[in-house]
Amino acid sequence: MSTTIIEVREAPVELTLRQRWSHYFAIIYAILAVIIGINLRDTALYATVPYSNPQVGITAFYPNHWLIDNSGNYVFRVRDMSQTGFKTAMQVNIIPINQDMTTRNILETLILNRSQTDSTFRVLSQEPIQLSDGTEATQMRSTFVASDEDPFLESIPTVVERLDVIAVQGGQAIIISFLSDAQTFESNYPRFEQFLNDIDF
Amino acid sequence: MTLTSKLRLCSGAIITLFALLLIGSPIQAQTGLDVERVQRATVLVMQTRIVGNTPIITCVGSGTIVSRDGLILTNAHNTLPGANCPGDTLIISLNIRPGEPPVARYQADVVQADPGLDLALIRITRQVDGRLIDRTALALPFVELGDSESVNLDDTITVVGYPGIGNDPIVFERGTVSGFAAEPSGGDKSWIKTSASIAATMSGGGAYNQNGLLIGIPTTAPLTPNPTTGNCISVQDSNADGLINTNDVCIPSGGFINLLRPSAFVQPLLQAARLDITISFPLQSVATTSAPVTAANRPRFRYLGFSPSVNAAGMPTTIIRSLPTGSDSLYLFFDYENMTPETVYELRVNTNGIPNPNFSVSPVRWSGGQRGLWYVGSSGQPFPNGTYEFTLFIDGIAGDSARLVVGGGPDEGPAFSDIVFGLLDSSGNVTGTGYVLPTGTTASARFLYRNMNAGTPWAAIWYYEGQEVQRTDDGTVWAESDGANGTKTISVQSVTGLLPGSYRLELYVEGRLAAVSDFTLAGGQDGSFARIFSDTHFTTASSIQEALSAAPITSFSAGTSPIFAMFDWQLIGSGTLWRIDWSVDNQVFFSQTQPWSGAPTGSNFLMQLASPSGLPDGTYRLDLFIGQIQFDTAQFRVGIGQLPIDRFSSAEGIILRGRVINSVSREGVPGVSVLLISEDYSVSDFTQDWNQNQLFATATTDRNGRFEINLPLQRDVQYSVVLLAEGYLPITADGVEITDEIHPDNSPIDITLELTPE
Repeated sequence: MSTTIIEVREAPVELTLRQRWSHYFAIIYAILAVIIGINLRDTALYATVPYSNPQVGITAFYPNHWLIDNSGNYVFRVRDMSQTGFKTAMQVNIIPINQDMTTRNILETLILNRSQTDSTFRVLSQEPIQLSDGTEATQMRSTFVASDEDPFLESIPTVVERLDVIAVQGGQAIIISFLSDAQTFESNYPRFEQFLNDIDF
Repeated sequence: MTLTSKLRLCSGAIITLFALLLIGSPIQAQTGLDVERVQRATVLVMQTRIVGNTPIITCVGSGTIVSRDGLILTNAHNTLPGANCPGDTLIISLNIRPGEPPVARYQADVVQADPGLDLALIRITRQVDGRLIDRTALALPFVELGDSESVNLDDTITVVGYPGIGNDPIVFERGTVSGFAAEPSGGDKSWIKTSASIAATMSGGGAYNQNGLLIGIPTTAPLTPNPTTGNCISVQDSNADGLINTNDVCIPSGGFINLLRPSAFVQPLLQAARLDITISFPLQSVATTSAPVTAANRPRFRYLGFSPSVNAAGMPTTIIRSLPTGSDSLYLFFDYENMTPETVYELRVNTNGIPNPNFSVSPVRWSGGQRGLWYVGSSGQPFPNGTYEFTLFIDGIAGDSARLVVGGGPDEGPAFSDIVFGLLDSSGNVTGTGYVLPTGTTASARFLYRNMNAGTPWAAIWYYEGQEVQRTDDGTVWAESDGANGTKTISVQSVTGLLPGSYRLELYVEGRLAAVSDFTLAGGQDGSFARIFSDTHFTTASSIQEALSAAPITSFSAGTSPIFAMFDWQLIGSGTLWRIDWSVDNQVFFSQTQPWSGAPTGSNFLMQLASPSGLPDGTYRLDLFIGQIQFDTAQFRVGIGQLPIDRFSSAEGIILRGRVINSVSREGVPGVSVLLISEDYSVSDFTQDWNQNQLFATATTDRNGRFEINLPLQRDVQYSVVLLAEGYLPITADGVEITDEIHPDNSPIDITLELTPE
């Protein structure tokens, strides 16, 4: 006896053109939403505030909601106070130099000063770089240990990585610095990169 | 959601949180002494030196932080290198937790010191591991100085310090003011005596009045360390012989203190340290260096005598043989020679053979000159009847002693008193400043006499620099025409002229010393007065040579440095004690008394005032004195002529501290930023600009979530607060205010704040 198997299949449903487009649009909307979301996030995350100091001839854009301070021995400094532990910071210094001084002299002075005031200071690397506007500069990576000045609190010191970009222009040296907890240095670095690209002196 | 919108959402809900927390703080009993602040501000000062590769402790004392940027008040003897304390590095240990020994945290440098007064101000400059400290970043707890002049007998005081050489926690010793000791260097309140039991290592700590203000510094000077007498302890194998014994460095530690150096002596040093001005003498040598002690120049005291009072020049009004019942004032006078600021002297008083700590002076540094007439005494403190024996010690060795009976009625015997000096005017009256006369051929003295009888033998002997120059004839007796009571004038003369310098007149009656007084001859004659200093002026220049010929200036631009001061002088004898006072806005910041060591007459005595950041704005005055009498004064202005106001100089206010915890896990959140916004701004103002200038103070939580605002909050001022931490919803609050109703005392406010994870 032979068995006949009859397979019943649902006839393929042809999508209507409308359905097909609605699917396409849904996918496009989703992609657009993701793009807009990412864009909004980046806009919020990388939103900047303009800074201008005509006296020293510097304009810059620093991250929104970072605390700006121009009362120290620098042109200005901004810090991310929402960071736990060491507050990621970017700062700009200007030091007068004599015309015979080279970037090498400035670096040596920085290294000597920092070594004498901080026994934990270590230089990691030095290399020439070119800024986005074509200015020749030198960058120096270094580390030191930062600890809370309040002796009555139990604060654990943080290893800080520091990047100094030194450019010589108009009889003065401009030192643009980025300081971050060494653990988060790389993830925070894009902020500094943007800061460095936007700064004008 | 942006940070700003998060802040807006949270601020409404949290706005009353701080107020509620503040209201919820426990109200403590009203007290003037902020025990915790004083504990934290009291430090252990260790002087050390490196032997081999090991730091060896050479001296230990206590100290008190008196400014938020790390100025510490302590004794000079345990900070300045010396024979008894031969170290060169100062280590500062803090009381981190109550009840525990102090922990070494910092290194410090001496910025101001007076070895004689035994006071020093040292400044924290490095971490203990040697890293330099930016002092503007320091925010240490500190105490304020009180008015030691307002301290009275029987006032309750609290003395704070470290009773051991490192293992003991801080102690608070309560006691009363049991008296005052007088010396020429500071008048009737040169020392405050106390009944509190104070260990020698608490020397340099603080004594506080009931308002919690520092009014004195417990002070005693260490004698030469001698392990066999137990006045020191060896705690380290300093000679690396594998043993800790009498051959090792012995840290002075023995003895007890009954004296407080009043805080009034600290003010000039503190002002100088705050101003950061260095005063130097580029052309003249004014520093006195001590010659090595030999048998010939060993310090000594002699000619002890008693007087019931002293005059304005620090001279005894009369010399007495006994003190009547009920007397409350007595001064022991004596001559001194070869003394240095490092010499340690002590007065031990026995009453009827029993040691009497009330009138004794524990071992202290010498605050006078090299030689002269000195006194130590007390007033306002009744002397019970009895036989008093006063014995003076130098560097722990007993010297001369004198005995006095207190009791009975007033002495009705013949007496001389109240000697003053001057020139005779046309009417025969003695005129002038009293104790400093112009040079000439004659100097006169007027004195009071009482109970004199005709025929009573008396004598007057004049001395110049310790050498007799004139005396009354032997056998001189009191003339009937002078009467029993009155005033008499006598003179010393020299046809070749009296030399400038130090003179003394001794008056004897019936063979005993009845009155004595020193006076000084200096300068040219200007009527009855001496003209000693002249042409005092100021200038600025890039070199000393340029300064000598530069035009005088009375108003300098802000930030000028250096500024030179110059004056001319005439007829000052070598060794004549003179004093320079510098003040700014009427507050003395430099006072130095020294023997004159230059030529008798000259011009352009040069002083240089310099400051690394330029002299602060202010009105500066230079005063020149001889024998407490001002002989010249001049002033100049820098900038606006007024010192800038330091809003951080006050310790007044309430410390806000607390803990930030995770609202879910209840564990402390480390690394949270606590931002306290100034009263002029709100949270919304701040979050517009995120500017440091709008902040009153900031803090970051430690690994346990604990934080402490490093500036004391003021009462009745509205602050705003922002708490930020990555991964948590921020907290904001406006209108955070501390009122008397909420928090009536000065104790710190401790709060707990909860952060909600995002």
